[in-house]
Amino acid sequence: MNKREFLEELRKGLAGLPQDDVEERLTFYGEMIDDRIEEGLTEEEAVAQIGPIGDIVSQTFSDIPLLKLVKEKMPKRSLRAWEIILLVLGFPLWFALLVAAFAVVLALYIVIWALVIALWAVEVAFAVAAVACVPLAVFYAVKGNVPAAVAFVGAALLLAGLAIFLAFGCVAASKGAVKLARLIGRGVKRLFVRKENTK
Amino acid sequence: MDVQLKRGLLDVCVLAAIKNGESYGYKIIKDMKPYLELSESTLYTILKRLEAAKMLTVRTAEHEGRLRKYYRITAAGVARINDFKEEWKEVIQIYRFVAREDQGGPV
Repeated sequence: MNKREFLEELRKGLAGLPQDDVEERLTFYGEMIDDRIEEGLTEEEAVAQIGPIGDIVSQTFSDIPLLKLVKEKMPKRSLRAWEIILLVLGFPLWFALLVAAFAVVLALYIVIWALVIALWAVEVAFAVAAVACVPLAVFYAVKGNVPAAVAFVGAALLLAGLAIFLAFGCVAASKGAVKLARLIGRGVKRLFVRKENTK
Repeated sequence: MDVQLKRGLLDVCVLAAIKNGESYGYKIIKDMKPYLELSESTLYTILKRLEAAKMLTVRTAEHEGRLRKYYRITAAGVARINDFKEEWKEVIQIYRFVAREDQGGPV
């Protein structure tokens, strides 16, 4: 791939970003390629060193805050009369859809975190129960009821074991939840970008 | 490495790459290469962030019949490097303490 093809492809990949931002990035990558050529690399080698376009595009989008992407979607010119009429007439439809979409994403987030909170709640319950068994065991031991005391010691050990075991699961689930939440965030971001591209 | 930590480190590294005089994108990447690999897209983001934070200034100048952007560190940028050095003295102290545990502390 030569420089022109590379920049052409990159421009396609970056579609959806503000125009002057795209130009600035392309100039930057162009300069990077030129500097490598000046050092003695062929055009193809220089382009290859910059890396796959897919990587550049995905990194670029993950570096830009969602708010900026959304802002860029707002039309810069004032709306035409028929667009305003359509917007107003369509309000019951698009507003409902927007709220629904927002609710779905919010619900996803809540479900993820609710699961994590539930897991930790079980974890805490086990731990508290294990600790609570100890005074009971002491109480029965003092009263001379050996079988009950042994049973409570056993229960304490069992619950503590379960608590420790579950702690690993809780930590893994929390990490997974963070990852998933981030994935959803990125997915929403993509949604905005892709819509622009297909226009 | 923790994302936030890495971001802070990279910012200071790029500032360090221009602290002894103006530099341009490819040179910054080359100068940093022995210490850490930096992709073009990462560098772009860092340069933009540092420019917004007024830690460097950018000028475009002609070079071999084409345009090239040069980056120059500002007083705020130099101050950031100095802050970093101070902060890391402390981090190195902590590191020494942590690493010492590795070499046959109490088991």
